[in-house]
Amino acid sequence: MALDLRSANARRSSSSWRHLDLLLLAAVAGITAIGLLMIYSSTRQGQAAAGLDPGYFLKRQALFVVVGVLVMVGVACIDYQLLRDVAPAIYAAALFVLLLVISPLGTERRGTQAWFQVGPYQFEPSELAKLALVIALAAFCAAHRGELDTGRLTTALGIAVVPLLLIYLQPDVGTGMVFVAVLMGILLVGGASPRQIAILTLMGITAIVMVLQLGVLKDYQRDRLSAFLDPKEDVQRSAYNLNQSKIAIAAGGVGGRGLFRGTQTNLSFVPEQHTDFIFTAVGEELGFVGACTLLALFGLVMWRTWRAAITAKDQFGMLVCVGVLAMLVFQVFENVGMTMGITPIAGIPLPLMSYGGSATVATFAALGLVISVQMRRFS
Amino acid sequence: MSADTTRLRMGILAIVVISLFSALLARLWYLQVLAAPAFKTEAQLNSVRFVYTEAPRGRILDRNGKVLVGNRVVPTVVVDKTELGDKPDDVIRHLSALVHVPENVLKDRIDDPRYSPFKPIPVVDDVPKETLIHIREHQDEYPGVQGVMLTKRFYPNGSLAAHVVGYVGEINDKELAPRKSKGYRAGDSIGKSGVELAYEDELRGQPEVEKLEVDAQGRVLRTLGKQPAVQGHDVRLTIDLDLQKVAEDSLAQSIAAAQATYDNESGKRFVAPAGSAVVLDPRDGSVLAMASYPTYEPATFIDGISEKTFGELNDPAGHYPLNNRVTQGLYAPASTFKLVTSIAGLETGLITPQYTVNDRGTFTIGDPPTVLKNAFSEAFGYVNLTAALTVSSDVYFYELGSRFCPGTCRTSIQETAKELGMGDFTEIELPFEASGRIPDAATKKRLHDSNPDAFPDPEWYTGDNLNLAIGQGDTVVTPLQLVNAYATLANGGTVYAPHVGGSILDVNGNEVRKIEPRVNRKTAIPAAIRDPVVAGFEGAVSNSRGTANPAFAGFPTSTFPIAGKTGTAQVSGKQDTALFAAFGPTDDPRYAVTVVIEEAGFGASAAAPVARRIFDQIVGLPLTPITRVQAHD
Repeated sequence: MALDLRSANARRSSSSWRHLDLLLLAAVAGITAIGLLMIYSSTRQGQAAAGLDPGYFLKRQALFVVVGVLVMVGVACIDYQLLRDVAPAIYAAALFVLLLVISPLGTERRGTQAWFQVGPYQFEPSELAKLALVIALAAFCAAHRGELDTGRLTTALGIAVVPLLLIYLQPDVGTGMVFVAVLMGILLVGGASPRQIAILTLMGITAIVMVLQLGVLKDYQRDRLSAFLDPKEDVQRSAYNLNQSKIAIAAGGVGGRGLFRGTQTNLSFVPEQHTDFIFTAVGEELGFVGACTLLALFGLVMWRTWRAAITAKDQFGMLVCVGVLAMLVFQVFENVGMTMGITPIAGIPLPLMSYGGSATVATFAALGLVISVQMRRFS
Repeated sequence: MSADTTRLRMGILAIVVISLFSALLARLWYLQVLAAPAFKTEAQLNSVRFVYTEAPRGRILDRNGKVLVGNRVVPTVVVDKTELGDKPDDVIRHLSALVHVPENVLKDRIDDPRYSPFKPIPVVDDVPKETLIHIREHQDEYPGVQGVMLTKRFYPNGSLAAHVVGYVGEINDKELAPRKSKGYRAGDSIGKSGVELAYEDELRGQPEVEKLEVDAQGRVLRTLGKQPAVQGHDVRLTIDLDLQKVAEDSLAQSIAAAQATYDNESGKRFVAPAGSAVVLDPRDGSVLAMASYPTYEPATFIDGISEKTFGELNDPAGHYPLNNRVTQGLYAPASTFKLVTSIAGLETGLITPQYTVNDRGTFTIGDPPTVLKNAFSEAFGYVNLTAALTVSSDVYFYELGSRFCPGTCRTSIQETAKELGMGDFTEIELPFEASGRIPDAATKKRLHDSNPDAFPDPEWYTGDNLNLAIGQGDTVVTPLQLVNAYATLANGGTVYAPHVGGSILDVNGNEVRKIEPRVNRKTAIPAAIRDPVVAGFEGAVSNSRGTANPAFAGFPTSTFPIAGKTGTAQVSGKQDTALFAAFGPTDDPRYAVTVVIEEAGFGASAAAPVARRIFDQIVGLPLTPITRVQAHD
């Protein structure tokens, strides 16, 4: 795939494409392939039992990947520096779409109004809003060259808090947490002083405690978020997901139970397994070896993104990469940690693995940003 | 911000990322390497379900292989809850119209928690074959509904031998607790009484076990394995179906005749609410017939008995038809007990066979004197032991009884009774057997202590000995103990544990196990003792002065000599109990018979005619119609 891309685009901007990070692309391709396999494994039996096409989810996800790759190439082709100039417009557009989705135009599903129904597909704008936030924060911080006084810091916070509130109205706690992670990552590298970071951290902790204690969240949200603290307490409710998920991963052992042979996976004991709990299928069927391989591939992506950040030719490019890095790291840690019971349960997809169009396309778009920064580091 | 600071901050970022990944890896290591074995089992239990289907019970056959309890294949409509589709109410409405069972009844059955959710639940049985075909042909209208053939208990002879075979019901918590290890589950069937209970282990067989893989919604995905059901073994009884039928019919007829007869003593017709008849082979204790009246239909227990019906079966006004009066009924043996008194008198040397008493019809004892009488105060003149037994001279036995006390107050009557197995469990394999009671000074005291109102006097007097000598007073035995004592006399002193089970057969009719006779006790009854007693009993049947002679009029006693003894027990507040105990042929005893009918008058009138018909059947004669013969004692 990488080679094809290279030759296909060589004519247009031969100078930049020479610096394409093939290692990053290989890791992305590997993760995507495992993702497709696991989506198939965790859905085919349930589909077949219901008399439906066992390859339904596989085919749709494959389509999302194709669209995602096209978007990634498209984004990579754009010089990221152009984005800095239009960052306010992108940010405004994102806010507009987030407003639109909580208007009657959006679609509600399982108590969360976060989608637009477009024919047979759902579009989840909050996924793309993450990227808008990355670009907007990076542009803002880069504009001030890492000199953030209290006023600018407050502005930066404001940039994150406005979309965060809109997402809270959906409500989608998980995506909100990703926003916070992106904010923290960019502020850390983008110039907040240690004192500011300490204060922000303190404020963050206070906010979390208040959110949990003051009834801002609905009961089920609080239950899900705190189930990981004591999963044995109530097997039937929130902790059910978690217990089944842990059983699945642990049952995989070192070598796994073999592709398509995990009973937890095949028999849909783990809910939402092809989406948020896709890692359990890896854990059960491919075992410790497979799970480590997957994490290593993610590690590779992180490392290359981190490298793209420090080799970026300007502050904006670096902060974009840091934002994407923060986004990916947080999502991987939160999602994988959730399936193993060390982080709260929140509806956060595993990048490049979980079934879902918006998230898949958004992740590829984010990687497109990284590639764009990375291959223009010398230009 | 300097480049160095940026590098430092990127370094911090890297450290944060590496820490987070390390945390994930550590957790992964813990779950998949350290804790994996425990979780693996949990994962397996998660997805595997066992479904048990009971095997058909074994059949119960008579000694000749005739079926007393069999199995019947019943066309049944079953419903698989999980397959009812989107509109289960519609399906149930259609089904309700088809099988003419109200919707709510169908729903209750479908939701019956006794059934595994993984197997179809029987909702209507005995449906016409056409209904099953209709369901099959219109499967789209009846998703989840199926017609199947199920096996059920079947009683081709109705209530015949009901007390012997017993009945089957759903296991209750008390029965389940000790049997969990044997693989019983709630909702299983279990023998509740009779042979069904006594031979439960043989009859039950092994259930089919299906191992299913299910998903999180409980949908069955596939069968992982199946252990086929093993049908229970058949039990072949020692009961002779034809003889059983004669015993039951004759008992019922005699009871009907008694109920139609006016009792001068009580001034009303005989109540005759209940009775029993039992035939034993004295050579090995096998039971050939065991009839108890009133009886019940074991078939009413199929599919669970209604509370109303069960209430009726346990209503005192119905005289407890579930009770087997042969093993559970307790009666004063009256004159039939003279068997014991005679042997005790001869053994102790208190009398010889030649010893004679002048029977003037009464016997006076005590101070102030109490006068005891024969029936109708009839005077038999000079009688020895044999004559006393034949004519049933109570005076002779009062005389004899008084000799056991005072003086040493020997308890040889009680000892002899126990030697013959009376007042103790016979150890027949049927459940709920009563033990009876042969009183002595100690038991009398104990009875008084436990219930002073019913037993006002704690002391043992000579009068008690007299009562004991004629089988009255506190003496109570079961008809089975009585017949077993006569069988012991017949076989020369071996007390067998009576048994109704003959052998255990497999599905193909091959014998798996023979049920061997068990000897409870051996006692010596030498000819010098046996002969005069048997002669007395023979006289009672064949001598014209014999008490049972009218009942046996015309019976070929010359070729098939019978020894028998009538008994008429007085029960306070009730009419007399009629008893008759016998065995024959006396030269080679193969049959011992006892008939007991409550509140039916003289043993000779009510009980002996039943035994007569049983012997008619045994020797192949036409059955003598039941008539209430005039009799004394």
